[in-house]
Amino acid sequence: MSMMHASQLTAKSTNAKSLTAKTFNATPPTAQLMRWVIIATLPGLAVMTFYFGIGVISNVLLAGLFALGAEALALKLRQRSLRPALSDSSALLTGVLLGASLPPASPWWLIGIGILAAVVVAKHLYGGLGQNPFNPAMVGYALLLVSFPTYMTLWSPPQSFIPENLWAQIGGTLPASMLDALSGATPLDAFKHKGEAVLAREFWATQPLPEGALSAWRNVALAWLAGGLLLIAKRIISWHIPVSMLVSMALLATLFYASSPSHFASPFFHLTTGAAIFGAFFIATDPVSAATSRRGKLFFGAGIGALVMIIRTFGGYPDAVAFVVLLMNLCVPLLDIYTVPRPTGQPKAQQQTEQVDRS
Amino acid sequence: MPAYEFPGGITLLERKDRSNQSPLRNAPLPAQVTLPLKQHTGNPAIPCVATDDAVQVGSLIAKRDGMVSANLHASISGTVTQVSDSAITIDADGLDRWQALPPLDWRTENHAVLIDRLDSCGLVGLGGAGFPSYIKAQIADHHRIDTLVVNAAECEPYITADDLALRHYPTDIMEGAQIVARLCGAQQIVVGIEDNKPDAIRALKVALSDFEQINDHPTSDQHRVNITLKVIETRYPSGGERQFIKKLLNLDVPSGGLPADIGVLCHNPGTLLAALRAVRDGKPLVERIVTLTGDAISAPGNYWVRLGTSIETLLLQAGLENQQLYHVIVGGPMMGVPLSTLDTPVMKTTNCLIAATREELPPAPAESSCIRCGACESVCPVQLLPQQLHWYARAESDDTLEKLHLFDCIECGACSFVCPSYIPLVQDYRSAKQRIRVKRIETAKADHAKHRFEFRQARLAREDAEKQARRQARRGQIRQPSDSSKASDSAALQVDLRSLRIAQTAAKAAVRKAEKTLARAAAQDPNQRHDDLETQLATAQENLKAADTRLTEARATMAQQESP
Repeated sequence: MSMMHASQLTAKSTNAKSLTAKTFNATPPTAQLMRWVIIATLPGLAVMTFYFGIGVISNVLLAGLFALGAEALALKLRQRSLRPALSDSSALLTGVLLGASLPPASPWWLIGIGILAAVVVAKHLYGGLGQNPFNPAMVGYALLLVSFPTYMTLWSPPQSFIPENLWAQIGGTLPASMLDALSGATPLDAFKHKGEAVLAREFWATQPLPEGALSAWRNVALAWLAGGLLLIAKRIISWHIPVSMLVSMALLATLFYASSPSHFASPFFHLTTGAAIFGAFFIATDPVSAATSRRGKLFFGAGIGALVMIIRTFGGYPDAVAFVVLLMNLCVPLLDIYTVPRPTGQPKAQQQTEQVDRS
Repeated sequence: MPAYEFPGGITLLERKDRSNQSPLRNAPLPAQVTLPLKQHTGNPAIPCVATDDAVQVGSLIAKRDGMVSANLHASISGTVTQVSDSAITIDADGLDRWQALPPLDWRTENHAVLIDRLDSCGLVGLGGAGFPSYIKAQIADHHRIDTLVVNAAECEPYITADDLALRHYPTDIMEGAQIVARLCGAQQIVVGIEDNKPDAIRALKVALSDFEQINDHPTSDQHRVNITLKVIETRYPSGGERQFIKKLLNLDVPSGGLPADIGVLCHNPGTLLAALRAVRDGKPLVERIVTLTGDAISAPGNYWVRLGTSIETLLLQAGLENQQLYHVIVGGPMMGVPLSTLDTPVMKTTNCLIAATREELPPAPAESSCIRCGACESVCPVQLLPQQLHWYARAESDDTLEKLHLFDCIECGACSFVCPSYIPLVQDYRSAKQRIRVKRIETAKADHAKHRFEFRQARLAREDAEKQARRQARRGQIRQPSDSSKASDSAALQVDLRSLRIAQTAAKAAVRKAEKTLARAAAQDPNQRHDDLETQLATAQENLKAADTRLTEARATMAQQESP
């Protein structure tokens, strides 16, 4: 019957002197939590815009807008009140995350379809906020990736701030012939398709990527990392999932690399390209679809890291964060069953069986 | 000594300075008191006064019913005006005449006398649960206790009753601790206190050094206990019994067990003070220290309050401003309950009354969906999974709830406190627990009926035995002068006597066992009724009485036959 709540403490911190929110273990209210995640995407989005042009912004804005619309539509159909659900910013966050994962300046209809899958199918058909077993943004992304592979691989090389065809691209009126000209391989993609016979050293010697691509991706990853660390510092997310995911990726990458440096990419390459950092801090940490207990979270993150490495190395896709997160979402109920922590005072597993034996 | 850690926990705004700045005062004597018959764990007491009876302070007005129950005494002198099913009302005569019991010296008196004194004074745990102290004092019968811990953590915000008690009566409280330590056979006493009570800590240190001087004196008594003071970090819920023991002694109380299972007994300073007063001064439990606090009263502080005083009167005397008042909470803001009406008396377990304004303890914002963020899990001091419990509690999957150890939840409210979606988690757990308990009682109903039947049989058998004994006695008197004893009977009687003695011992053991089971169940689940176990105990007691009667009867017959 707790009459006190952490939120009062943060609100009244004036008379609490030097006590900060941290000492109270206070988690901000749900809506604020979502907003903090959105704020933490800003450095990543800014650096992406710097390298890949304003198309990143248009993605995020469109996706956010569509997400709010889709949320409102779903709530209307479900006959729920709009206000509390819309103001908790959870749909907006889904939009921002999906927008950030799409190739810059994606056409509006692509974003729209992705958002519908994310917000209406993955979230509301399962019962709304807190009920969805799968990460909504990744459901949207995976659907788009399987259905519209051409548009989903349009990662143009680092380019001018405002590309010439921007409006045509967003408007979806660009002829198909023009699409190929726009597309450029991401570092992961290029490495994936270098061919079995080509040694890594030879591959890099050919300068397979446009100039600056590697450093662009690395800087984007660093920016996402900055945002992620902010979330951890703010206690919005716990360290368990990002750390276990990145550690397991690094371990496997090191293992592959050590076994045959001429065929596999270095761990540093794996961590700084693709969606590794973004996925670790912003996607895998979605609390709703992740494992609950701290130990479960460690397994969950480690599983994602391992599967990402396996698919990147042996699978058909250059990157795999979306599929892997969905796969691991599937494992969450199982993880939750097997990682129930032992409450204080409960006998240890060994003692428990002994007790059974004795009785 | 280092302090150990329990998992989880939270730091709260303490707001203790509102009530701990002024010294302990006496609340004015009430003009009328209403004493509920149930102010403790277990069965309500049974009134033993009638309307218009004159009573003095400390007169027994209701007797305990069964083992888990407590006596009740008049808290003012005056006239009984009403005896209802649930409460006794007394009008004061303003004279405040006392009827105390003779003082006892705990150092020389034997255990049974002291335990009987705690029982007759109606002593119960004053920390919150109200568990009868005399049962706790008998713990040495079935458990080996080596440590008595004094729980002065007082970890809830606002409450300062123990703080003030320790500042004003440190020596008395420690002497009370020694009484209890002697009764339970503990070799050491560990006092644990949160570091936010520097004055109480200072007072305790002075008291303890005085004790050491007495103990160093060669003429001091034989039972020596080692007393240690441990200052612990302020972190809610360090005052939870299990968390407290973990923090002080680094011991885990087993789930479903009692501290006594690991050789520990836990008492609250207020209870120890009352125990000393009951023994040394012969004063039954008729008053207690209550913290009156909150922004809606102008004279917050701690007061000695007579039991049964109306809360409304009390708060008005402390300067209640009705326009400011939003709600009154009994207990702390974390685990306490808001009062639905101020027309409620102060009871043995009322440690704190918070008259809060709306700004001070505002209503919780509307609940939103759980996003499984895990904040609750990181603060749970028992390492449960509060959000899993939340899902399953709402889905009413009781089996899963028990598998997730719902009953290990201490209802401290840390999870609700941090929940970003304002979900009243503890309320969900409480109602789920209640639902499961009701189910258990339903399934135990058949057993209960059987036990009631057995009780009836036992009672009839005892009555039979007594009737027979009376008949025998009468016949013996008639037959005595005629003297027709046969020597051969004596051997048969000898055998009979032996088996009767065995039966009596077995019955005694059965009573002890039933007592132990009941004491255990009641301590684990103080808020429940334990009718079934009380019936089983009563059955065992009837059997013992019958066995006693038969044995004395057989002995008497023997004596008659041998004497002539």
